[in-house]
Amino acid sequence: MSEFVEQCRREWRRLGVPHPLAEEMAADLSSDLNDAEAEGVSAHEFLGSSYLDPRSFAASWAAERGIVPEQPGRERNRRGRPVLVAFTAIAALTLIVAALLLATGEPKLTIRTSRPPDALAPLPPKIGGQVVSTSAAAPVEWILLVLAIAALAFAAWLWSSWGRSRPAAA
Amino acid sequence: MWRMASESRRSQLLRGVLDLCLLAVMAEGPAYGYEMTRRLRDRGLAIVGEGSIYPLLGRLERDGLVETYRAASEGGPPRKYYRPSDAGRLALALGVSEWRAARDAVDAVLAPVEVEVAT
Repeated sequence: MSEFVEQCRREWRRLGVPHPLAEEMAADLSSDLNDAEAEGVSAHEFLGSSYLDPRSFAASWAAERGIVPEQPGRERNRRGRPVLVAFTAIAALTLIVAALLLATGEPKLTIRTSRPPDALAPLPPKIGGQVVSTSAAAPVEWILLVLAIAALAFAAWLWSSWGRSRPAAA
Repeated sequence: MWRMASESRRSQLLRGVLDLCLLAVMAEGPAYGYEMTRRLRDRGLAIVGEGSIYPLLGRLERDGLVETYRAASEGGPPRKYYRPSDAGRLALALGVSEWRAARDAVDAVLAPVEVEVAT
């Protein structure tokens, strides 16, 4: 029994729990365990599954009291999730928009790049008295589609990594 | 196998309302950790297998739902006593209301089921 309390003390020391608070928790725990023993209740019965893992028990207690900083991994995961959700939503929306634009017929968005004047190039042909300048047109829909697919693949990889690194629920 | 599944369900059900149970027993009168488990056990609610109540008490304290103070126990060392704060009493009232609504809804679904347990 006292060994269980000692292991908790060591864990609190390792986590940087202020000494007075650690001693307070250890004293309360020790007194409660003594009460339980006096009534014929074993430490295992009193503490349940926590009895088998004093380090997790001590860490969980200190964390729930808010006297140790949250584990960096948990904090990062908590902050990262909304960003990942937003990124995935934007990628999916882009994919849908690009698919709709492509499905509705001729591409309506183009990147028009005027060719720079070239002194050696032949003059542009005249049609109906007007000069028709040549240009290169790229369908933005296809570019959006490719980018959206790439972004979604990246998001899937991030979700997979996030799921693997997420700590088990207490 | 069946017994394990049953204990797991019971554990999950209890986990969702254990904070309410703790607030309820300390609302009867300030109590320290072991005293709360004793009050729960006297009502047939053993905490075995549910993990310890200490992290939960820590969370209630951090959330301002309980107030604590140290006082000498009967014939024992000074103990940390817990009692619900005003916010804790409100949380208890709301939680009990939610629990009763959920319990009634589940009862309405399960009531027609005839239970036969072989002995």
